[in-house]
Amino acid sequence: MTRFEVIEVMKRIIADNLDDMNVDNIDPQKSMKDYGANSLDMIEVVSCSMRELNIKVPRAELAEIQDIDGLADKFMEYIDT
Amino acid sequence: MANNILNFSLADFFYNDNPDVLGTPLDFEKWINHSDVRKSFSFFEQEILEAPRVSTRIRSKLDGKVRKVINLTSYNYLGLSTHPEVIAATKAALDKYGLGSSGAPLLSGTFDIHTEFARRLAEFKLKEDCILYSSGLGANVGAIQGIMRKGDYLILDEKCHKSLIDGGNLSGAKMLFFTHNDMKNLELMLEKAKGKRTLVVVEGVYSMDGDLPRLTEILELCEIYRAGSYIDEAHSTLIFGENGRGVAEHFGVEDRIGISFGTLSKSFGGVGGFVCSNKPLIRYLKGYSSPWNFSCAPSPAVIGGLMKALDVATRDSSLRDTLWANVNYMRNGLKGMGLNLGESESQVIPIIIGHSGEKLMGYAESMQKRGLFLQPVDFPAVPAYSRRFRISISSQLSRNEMDETLSIIEDVIIKGFR
Repeated sequence: MTRFEVIEVMKRIIADNLDDMNVDNIDPQKSMKDYGANSLDMIEVVSCSMRELNIKVPRAELAEIQDIDGLADKFMEYIDT
Repeated sequence: MANNILNFSLADFFYNDNPDVLGTPLDFEKWINHSDVRKSFSFFEQEILEAPRVSTRIRSKLDGKVRKVINLTSYNYLGLSTHPEVIAATKAALDKYGLGSSGAPLLSGTFDIHTEFARRLAEFKLKEDCILYSSGLGANVGAIQGIMRKGDYLILDEKCHKSLIDGGNLSGAKMLFFTHNDMKNLELMLEKAKGKRTLVVVEGVYSMDGDLPRLTEILELCEIYRAGSYIDEAHSTLIFGENGRGVAEHFGVEDRIGISFGTLSKSFGGVGGFVCSNKPLIRYLKGYSSPWNFSCAPSPAVIGGLMKALDVATRDSSLRDTLWANVNYMRNGLKGMGLNLGESESQVIPIIIGHSGEKLMGYAESMQKRGLFLQPVDFPAVPAYSRRFRISISSQLSRNEMDETLSIIEDVIIKGFR
């Protein structure tokens, strides 16, 4: 799976989980918080994404990630292996 | 998972991928039974063999040995759970009323002692009325769930307790979280909720950090946006304010607080929770708050003890004064070692260790073997970059016990002795 495809999966799940969001309006250089996500929304988005990508990344490794791009990079580490 | 097992935590097993609904997540057993993970979990559910005084004995799960320890983990901040007058009052209430209330408060569970204690708590908190719950968690869940509805907005500080979040989830209200104590971010959230019924929720003392809310500014914003305010004074009741009424008294804003919550399990030394507000709202809550309506009323024996605990803690300031002297002594000692205590302003003092879970657990083990019982607090209870110990200071601490505590912390954390 390519990084582009990973971001597409995440965008779709963000749009499904957050109010008034459209896939085309999501900028990967922004944080989910910028789109009004609370911590519970973020857990839901991360969990759904990991299930769909069939990876298991420890939540403890996600603590300092700043934006959707950063999350995609972390997911890619696990997809490659 | 094999090569990074310690990076996983309970946060990673919330969603269950096992098709068998009676099974645990597929990797959960492998993870929790790993020797390193089992060692980390040995710091939890350790049996305390005596009363939760500062000086007590525990059966250590590290090696099964019984150890005499200095216990800075219990919430018995004022020592009231073992105060002789409190014990005597509990025994008297036990003799008169028996062990349980044998009914929900609405039906047959309300005794004269419950009504009297609720009245006295309302008077103490300078509010019109009070509702009692069998647990602190139940009180927070029940108050939020009982008041808020789908279409309403609940705005919480991101460090608020799980019970408040659970209440919000149950209520169906839209929940927004603002960055801890960040007034600009709170204002942004209030803008989003503009025109809706909105309740802003903060804590008196944040339980993992020991810091206080910026209450005056928070209330100003609530007033501008016509939002209600809810303060969780679990760790601050009987501790803060000239009369021990809490952080709202400390900041001189009690009359501006809409709803005031407290627990009976921390400074009070018993168990239960209470919510104080205006009379009509408390009356309304009794119609819709499930943990009140559908749970047995608090044990009358415990209420008897709690009534005395309120007397003892408020008849003068001696317990509070001793507590604050101990807080200052310990804080100065810990600061003198250069430890990171965060922004603590209270009797809850974190020692922030940082990223390494291995270090945190190593220190916890060494300190326990030296006779100091400190609870390690790991991710996801706190962020992964700020794993910590949380110290609960008590008025019961003697100078010798404080010096011994400081010496063990210095040896283990600063000097690295094992």
